[in-house]
Amino acid sequence: MKRILIAFTVFTSVSLVQAQVDRGNVLIKGGTVLTVTKGTLENTDVLVRDGKISQIGKGIAAPSGFRVIDAAGMFVMPGIIDAHSHAGIDAINEATAPVTAEVFTGDAVNPFQVGLYRALAGGVTSIHAMHGSANAIGGECETLKLRYGVKDPEAMKMEGAPRTIKFALGENPTRVHGSGNGIVPRTRMGVEFVIREAFSQGKAYMEAWDAYNKAKVQKGFRGTPPAYNKRLETMADILRGNIIIHCHSYRADEIYMLLNVCKDFGIKRLVFQHVNEGFKVAPELAAYGAGASVFSDWWAYKFEVYYSTAYNAAILTRNGVTTSINSDDGELMRHLYHEAGKTQKYGQLTDDEALALITINPAKQLGIDGRVGSIEVGKEADITIFKNHPLSVYTIPMITIVDGVVRFDREKDADDQRIYVDPKQTIDVTLHTSSGHDHESCMQGAVYETAKLFGFNLLEK
Amino acid sequence: MAPVTRTYAITNVNIIQGPGRKVDMGTVIIRNGIIQNVGKNLTIPADAVVIKADSMYVYAGFIDGYSRVGVIKPKEEPNRERPKDPGNPEPAQAGITPQNDVRTSLNPAEKSVEDLRALGFTTAQVVPYGGMLPGSAAIIQLGGASSNDMVLSGNSSFYSELTPAQRVYPNTVIGVMSKYRELYRQAAQAKSYENMYASNRAGLERPVSDKILEAFYPVIDKRVPVLFKAERNLDINRITLLQKDLGFNVVLGDVKEGWDMVNKIKAANAKVFLSLDLPEAVKEEKRDEKKEESKKPVDAEKEALEKRKAEAIAQYTAQASVFQKTGITFGFSTASAKTKDIPANLRRMIAAGLTEDQALAALTTTPAQLLGIADRVGTVDNGKIANLVITDKSYFNEKSKVRYVFVDGVMYKYEVKEEKKTDAKNGNGKKADPNGKWSYTTETPQGNSTGVIKIKNDGGTYSGTITNSMSGQETELSSIVVEGNSMTFTFGFNAGGSTMNIDVSLTIDGNDFEGTMSVGNFGSFPMKGSKDPNQ
Repeated sequence: MKRILIAFTVFTSVSLVQAQVDRGNVLIKGGTVLTVTKGTLENTDVLVRDGKISQIGKGIAAPSGFRVIDAAGMFVMPGIIDAHSHAGIDAINEATAPVTAEVFTGDAVNPFQVGLYRALAGGVTSIHAMHGSANAIGGECETLKLRYGVKDPEAMKMEGAPRTIKFALGENPTRVHGSGNGIVPRTRMGVEFVIREAFSQGKAYMEAWDAYNKAKVQKGFRGTPPAYNKRLETMADILRGNIIIHCHSYRADEIYMLLNVCKDFGIKRLVFQHVNEGFKVAPELAAYGAGASVFSDWWAYKFEVYYSTAYNAAILTRNGVTTSINSDDGELMRHLYHEAGKTQKYGQLTDDEALALITINPAKQLGIDGRVGSIEVGKEADITIFKNHPLSVYTIPMITIVDGVVRFDREKDADDQRIYVDPKQTIDVTLHTSSGHDHESCMQGAVYETAKLFGFNLLEK
Repeated sequence: MAPVTRTYAITNVNIIQGPGRKVDMGTVIIRNGIIQNVGKNLTIPADAVVIKADSMYVYAGFIDGYSRVGVIKPKEEPNRERPKDPGNPEPAQAGITPQNDVRTSLNPAEKSVEDLRALGFTTAQVVPYGGMLPGSAAIIQLGGASSNDMVLSGNSSFYSELTPAQRVYPNTVIGVMSKYRELYRQAAQAKSYENMYASNRAGLERPVSDKILEAFYPVIDKRVPVLFKAERNLDINRITLLQKDLGFNVVLGDVKEGWDMVNKIKAANAKVFLSLDLPEAVKEEKRDEKKEESKKPVDAEKEALEKRKAEAIAQYTAQASVFQKTGITFGFSTASAKTKDIPANLRRMIAAGLTEDQALAALTTTPAQLLGIADRVGTVDNGKIANLVITDKSYFNEKSKVRYVFVDGVMYKYEVKEEKKTDAKNGNGKKADPNGKWSYTTETPQGNSTGVIKIKNDGGTYSGTITNSMSGQETELSSIVVEGNSMTFTFGFNAGGSTMNIDVSLTIDGNDFEGTMSVGNFGSFPMKGSKDPNQ
């Protein structure tokens, strides 16, 4: 009996072996420090020791060996956190079943995607690398720190960040499974059923194991253990409060539905993603303590996303909902500071409120606000330095620091930032030229004739 | 027809018994499939077939750590039907068939056996075809008359891949990894329960037999390692994640990008078979000085990209040397290598820092140890299985040819073809004669086009024209350069009021040529031609 117990504990215990993380020492001198949580400090130094913010103040002397960054006239803010991304992973949707709680994007981290560097160049230091929205219950997600340059995928993971899982409501899961495969869920009712059924099964599984574990320590116990099931194992962990739900959703009715489902199963940690109609249920979200991670002004790309407003983030914020602005996109990720700035046009949020949308609030939603998301002594030194205020359209991200290590420096930005190069790639350089008269490079007029001559025709593609 | 004798004496041969162990001009005697004697001044048995291998080299037959040589490829079932419930497929549809055994699909007459043997390989660990869990591997001899004859040992590894299923669960690498953990843990649970049940059955529900989970039992007991296909660096990371969670003994097969993963490989205590596949080497191009002068931004960018690509290729080529230096023992695998490229790839690895002895060890003694068969194969020693390869020069010499291979004492003889008088590629012979009328074909993505090239040699100065079937235009050639048997020229093409240059580079071999046509930014296309016989 004991053997079963021991074998099982070993198999299910979380691996504690951690990857080596580089932590730097740096002094950022004389900038305007936007702490986000503790106000704005003019002409202030930030000292980073061993990857953590160790001192904030004026006239701090650089300890020997510390890199000094002159931030005079610049703005120093916490690194941007993107609560909704699919970057840095090789697999996004295990779209073959409506519930795939057992899969984990952290198994497929790819630290070599050059898009991660581009995100750093937009001031982003952490991303939530999520499972996709094909399934009512997708997989667990991974919180990454953009330590671009490391070759060990494990070193990209934000060690110790809480577990999160992707849920999805509405058109995506009903289209993939209902319309696509003719199985439940075909409707929003079906989505609710799938989620309730999965929680009920998870609850039964958890209770069966609890009963078994309790019984087997009794003297002389002989019995059959419940069959191990990784999917229900994860569902049980959500019920135990060990995993934060991040739910893809648009419509107020389905958002309210999931609030009720979570209430019924006693689940408290819940963040809605996209949540375009969140403004309709803002008080309900606030009362439940659920977060909302929204786009600034992206909508109308499918039917359920028509009823939207650019005031969404502001309304949610002013109703006391912990709100963030995310990208869900490699390009948008590069200017989340502009996205946050839009809430000042649409909703007159204060600077700190607007900046919180891309820093401390997403950190709260990911359960990492004790470590990142603001400039405070003791926090991890994930810092971005901007020329001009980050909420201005004229702002330019200059330096991005993760754990005290400079990972992006505009002054030293080389053309080719790939870590690995495909040894079989065909190198094909296309030069865009405005000069139409240089007969070497002007191909415009020649394309068609060349095609005729050599039998290939690019125009027909 | 069976040979009259199974006794052979290979005489007057350089015997490389193992890495660093050489006997000059000795004799190897084989009897009944076993190496009977190795040394100098041996008495030749009266019944022996004598192979006068004067100044040739004999090595232990090479061992391929992981491939599908000799394994019958299953016929692809074109199952285009949309699965009804893709989340709950039959295990076989999901690629979960660990109960399969590669021994049921071996065939010694597979062409792959003959091809690999012709390079000196005599033994291989082979795996079944399939998805994430194709079945158990076996170690086979690359010879024999039947599939049973081939098998040296069965169930040598539990073969696994991170390959997703098509259209059904698990359809992604994250699905595969999750399913792998679940099956492994379910197997561990089932096995523990079976043990408990076996010790006292009274009052317990009987365990349900499950051939998929039972296939994991030898792995859980660490009697059999898991052999994983591990080509990419990210594959290696993912496999070590599984290994860390589940604790099995792991073998990484066909590793191509492992140089930055050596610490993880060491931490996992993994055995390694490095791939004998390498990315194609960059061809040395002659620099045209005229082009250098008028370098455009596009050229500089292209050059920078080419440089990075060349550096990348160099990393792949140097992988074996890096592993050697970091103290990870490794064999080789041919799983994804083009057979004909293997000797050249070995030479490239040697040029990148591996010594010949290290390469030989990775082909013989190390894989023998890693596969647990070092008592039978891997060296030229008395009592070992007569797996040998005999070459006319040192194996790693570019000009070396395999002359004989022995598998289980059965001889395979290779005739050496007459070499051409002039080596077409190197141009170290007489100068080619481009003079005359040539018909050519170019292959473009949209099909072939043809035409005629006329070349005139006027006292060492060349001139000529080119036509094309599609345009009918005749265009003057410029910058015609003939060196050895290579010829390059350029011609301008006037289209839409601007001229673009087309560069042609050809290698002439007698009355034929082969080469490429580079069309500005459109890329290069292969070009072939032959001299018109009616001139």
